[in-house]
Amino acid sequence: MRRSKAIPAIAVMAGAALMLTACGGSSGGGQDNGSGSGGLASAAIGKGESGDTYTAPKVNDIGPVVVSTDKPFTAYNNATSDAVQSYNSYALIQVLARPFVLDGNNKVLLNKDVMDSVEVTSTSPKQQAPKIKKGVSWSDGAAWNCKDFYLAWLAQSGTDLKPDGKTTYFLPGATTGYSQIDSAKCQDDQTFVTEFSSPFGDWKSLFGISDDLLPAHVLEKQTGVSDITQVTPKSPADILTKVSDFWNTGWKGFKADLAPGSGAYMISDWQQGSSITLVRNPKWTGNPGGPAKITLKAIPDSNAQVQALQNNEEQVLSSAQPDANAAQTLQGLGSSGITYGANAGLNFEHLDLNLKRPIFQDEAVRKAFGQCINRNELVDKLIKQVQPDAKPFNSVIFFPGMPGYADNYSDKLISNPATAKATLTSDGWAPGPDGIMAKGGQKLTFKISHTDIPRRKQTVALLQQECKAAGIDIQDDTDANFLDKRVSDSDYDVALFAWSVAPFHSAGITTYKTGGNQNWNGTTSPAADAAFAKALAQTDDAAAVTDYQTADKAIADTYSTFPLFQPPNMWAYTGDIDKAYFQSYYGSMWNANEWQKPNA
Amino acid sequence: MFQYLIRRLLISIPILLIGSFLVFILVASAGDPLAGLRTKPGVTAQQIHSLSVQLGLDHSILVRYWDWLTSFLRGDWGTSVALGEAQSPVFTTVSSALWVTMRLVIGAELIALVLGIGVGVFSAVRQYSIFDYLMTSVAFLMFSMPIACVAVVVKNYGIQFNDLLQSLHLKRWLTTAGPPPGGFGSNLGQVIVSYSGTFLLPTISLMTISFAAYSRFQRASMLETLNADYVRTARAKGLSQSRVIFRHAMRNALIPVSTLFALNIGAIIGGAIITERVFGWNGMGTVLVKAVSNYDPPTLMGWFAVTATVVVVFNLISDLLYGLLDPRIRLG
Amino acid sequence: MANATQTAGDGGGAVAVRHEFDAKARSQTSIILGRFVRHRLAMVSLAVLVLLAVASFVVPMFLKFSYADTRAGSYLRPGGGHLLGTDQLGRDAFAQLLRGTQFSLAIAFTVAISSTIVGVLIGAVAGYLKGLVDSSLMRLVDLFLIVPQIALTALLVHAFAPSWYIVAAVLALFNWMQIARITRGEALSLSAREFVEASRASGGGTWHIVFKHLIPNMIGTITVNATLSVSTAVLTEAALSFIGLGVQLPDTSLGLIVQDNYTQVLLRPWLFWGPFLAIVAISMTISFIGDGLRDAFDPRQTKVRA
Repeated sequence: MRRSKAIPAIAVMAGAALMLTACGGSSGGGQDNGSGSGGLASAAIGKGESGDTYTAPKVNDIGPVVVSTDKPFTAYNNATSDAVQSYNSYALIQVLARPFVLDGNNKVLLNKDVMDSVEVTSTSPKQQAPKIKKGVSWSDGAAWNCKDFYLAWLAQSGTDLKPDGKTTYFLPGATTGYSQIDSAKCQDDQTFVTEFSSPFGDWKSLFGISDDLLPAHVLEKQTGVSDITQVTPKSPADILTKVSDFWNTGWKGFKADLAPGSGAYMISDWQQGSSITLVRNPKWTGNPGGPAKITLKAIPDSNAQVQALQNNEEQVLSSAQPDANAAQTLQGLGSSGITYGANAGLNFEHLDLNLKRPIFQDEAVRKAFGQCINRNELVDKLIKQVQPDAKPFNSVIFFPGMPGYADNYSDKLISNPATAKATLTSDGWAPGPDGIMAKGGQKLTFKISHTDIPRRKQTVALLQQECKAAGIDIQDDTDANFLDKRVSDSDYDVALFAWSVAPFHSAGITTYKTGGNQNWNGTTSPAADAAFAKALAQTDDAAAVTDYQTADKAIADTYSTFPLFQPPNMWAYTGDIDKAYFQSYYGSMWNANEWQKPNA
Repeated sequence: MFQYLIRRLLISIPILLIGSFLVFILVASAGDPLAGLRTKPGVTAQQIHSLSVQLGLDHSILVRYWDWLTSFLRGDWGTSVALGEAQSPVFTTVSSALWVTMRLVIGAELIALVLGIGVGVFSAVRQYSIFDYLMTSVAFLMFSMPIACVAVVVKNYGIQFNDLLQSLHLKRWLTTAGPPPGGFGSNLGQVIVSYSGTFLLPTISLMTISFAAYSRFQRASMLETLNADYVRTARAKGLSQSRVIFRHAMRNALIPVSTLFALNIGAIIGGAIITERVFGWNGMGTVLVKAVSNYDPPTLMGWFAVTATVVVVFNLISDLLYGLLDPRIRLG
Repeated sequence: MANATQTAGDGGGAVAVRHEFDAKARSQTSIILGRFVRHRLAMVSLAVLVLLAVASFVVPMFLKFSYADTRAGSYLRPGGGHLLGTDQLGRDAFAQLLRGTQFSLAIAFTVAISSTIVGVLIGAVAGYLKGLVDSSLMRLVDLFLIVPQIALTALLVHAFAPSWYIVAAVLALFNWMQIARITRGEALSLSAREFVEASRASGGGTWHIVFKHLIPNMIGTITVNATLSVSTAVLTEAALSFIGLGVQLPDTSLGLIVQDNYTQVLLRPWLFWGPFLAIVAISMTISFIGDGLRDAFDPRQTKVRA
């Protein structure tokens, strides 16, 4: 229950910068619907987990560890709009302490190493009061306290308007949740009290899960502001300018004295574009982590990652953009002590039919197109090599494992060209001499537009063959810049891309509501519109889920968008590590402090 | 000679300017730097507009080019606009990448050049011998192999070799993915071992194709000079075979290959893309691919400007080599 | 610009002139053809290349599966009508290979022929005419040379739809400068020779000298370069494919197929070796043909003159 609440907000954050993700790989994905290789399910649970809390376990020193992933670490302040990307979180999860952490199953755990408690002191208006443990400090010796929480709110409140009334001083990637906080103040160094203006179910995702708590004392020192908690979104322009300038740009690049650690590790070295190295934080009060040093390397080519793992240059491999060949090679390396795992990512690939095009105003055409699509073949040929237990994806609002997920598409995308043909015939279409259906001199032919990602091209190649038997002629339209403008200008017949966030509950509204901001294909469903309106007015989350379900179903019935599958993540580790798991948002390093030698 | 150099340099400047302008137009028209933002949820048209003002996109291309050029010359190369890049400064990105690539490429190219010239000369002197056919086949084979395949196979043998070392209770030596994160080590022994282990495999795969090209070129031009009349005359004068080959023939035959080397430098910088990618090095190729696929104009412009400058410098060197190797061409 | 002072050569030019005129008198074409036909390796290569080209167009008509047919399963092993098994999408790998060969040959020849013609003309004219023409042509070359072709090609291919002819055109656009510079260097050197001066003195026009004296005398370099550029085109295209910026579906190329399968060398060697050998075969046969041509064209070649 709790988990399901936390996910949407986090997804908003993580997904914000990664909309229409180029390679379908953005944030990770770790679903609890049994994905991942069977024996690895236990790896999704942290060793230090106990009930709803987490305490770093006592572990042995295992020396240095090297981890690889697809893209490099770019920024210590991962909340600015130009920086936010999940690959930064991969390292920061071990560097910056936070009140709540997530395990491999996305279960929210109170971090007892740094927190005494986090209480909701009042529900109306909702008040939240984290109590910070005494004695927690940054690696440079300064206290980790309420100030750091305050800065996170100040920077992301979205209310620090410049005199022009349109732009803000701070440039955060997102303000979700923070913008609903009316007031935030430090009762004392250990207690931070926030008051929400409107209910925000995912309050636990703020201050640490969807973003990081940055060192306020560093900012104070650099800007000459003596006490950051005295600065408010309505402070004088000169002060806000000074403070926001540092927050926006001061943490770019890497200077050791500006970027201390508050977690079990701190950054010791950063090679722009290639690697970041973490060492144990000497001031860390919890149990020290197992690896003495963790190097997170960026190796964009996943086959190169595999060979580096084989060569024992790295002990853990993680990829949110896996390649089928690399995955299969890894799966065959069991005899060399390499363990492989894969799970579904939190985004989904789908087809949008442009209802503004005359050909798709004909519902029979949309229906027939759906009926010839064989999603099992797509999953078998494109996903299962990486994730053997992958399944087609069946909703545009919910993910499998979340309350409300229902299969709205298996009866529509039935992989039956004969039925598709019959649907067309009964609508007056007839096969032409070339086998392509035609009606009134109009041939049934359209283009599927997408960016130049191999998997998308393969998807189209498969769809072409699947629908050929139904007399539907599909053309491939690969355009590297398709998502730049054409998609939002509705300049396509059918668009093939991935949503990483929008479908989540309220976020889906702009995409599927009639006339919504991102409703580029012109989906119209009065039933869905009504359900969305009702959902927004609900105060009870469970009731809202029912409304979203109604909307989900109504959207499916318009035959205007077809979800296909969730692109997978994969990871692997050598016999030098006991177990590792790919966490949806934090990659493979979410529990790096717990890593041990197998027999230790 | 000195005068000539100055003149060439002065001529290079307008070329670089015209070139940079054309490339600027090309880069500017190849995409939309705000594309990522347009498709973000909750981003308003107002925000897009103010950002495009900030990036100067509302000005004409001439104004934008002038702005870019003047700040570039002042040393302000701008910052990346690609999302997730955290405005990393172009200068740092490009210069560190250039350093990485140069370290990787120079050694490989020099070895390839020396081997290529040697093999080429020998093949030409012994034309149609078994050695010639063998080398011709080897060169053509190397030349014909996609470098990615070579790299994968080379890495595979490297890994097997390491396994062998390990089974002999020695340390694993060869690495397949980039320079060691902690530097090469503290004492000389360590540095030598780790340096050679790091560079050996990528150097082999970079060398292959260059070697093939150099040896073919050297052979062809050597044959041409060996058949030239002045070489025959030299022979007729009764000069020793080695003197004829090295003093007379080879000197002239070096012209095409030296030109190729100097001209190649640009192609080599960009052409190391595959090797860099397969071996996980963050060099010029990697930066380029990222900048093209993320569509990051400031980084692209910085990349082009640096590469272009390097190429101009090497072109000069190539011209100078002409003069040194062929006395009939006087640079005045 | 570089004014090559016309100092006398090594004193052997006159011999070359006489030989050349001799050859002409006995129909140069038939002599060259005769020499080429006697070049065994080149003839074998030519046969193999022609066979490969013809096969890539003819054999698909007799195959059980078309290149686009995705009905089979992923990565089937060779057998059951699939000579080389199937690829990830279940397409017949052999049919794919043949189709890739068609495209690769088309790209390679388009690039090599167009870039060599342009490059040789510009280089020869510049080297012969010297002065202002040379300066301006070489500045044009410099302009194209200062940017590595693979970078601009990648950018252009990324910006335009990457069909095979776009890739070929862009590759050719950035591939003629090398041959131009090399040709110019040779032309500079050659135009200082006596036989060129003699021809000029006897009233030979620029084009006459370029086509009758300069180009025939540079034919070795030109053919070697042209053959190398055929392979370069195949390989550059493969490199572009590797970084995802080359020819793209529905068009294809050997490079694309190799890149799809290069990691299969251990897992499913048949997928790797098919396209790999095809690329190597094309590239090698063309190079050998180039060699044969070089020997045949060389008017100073005495060895096979009889």
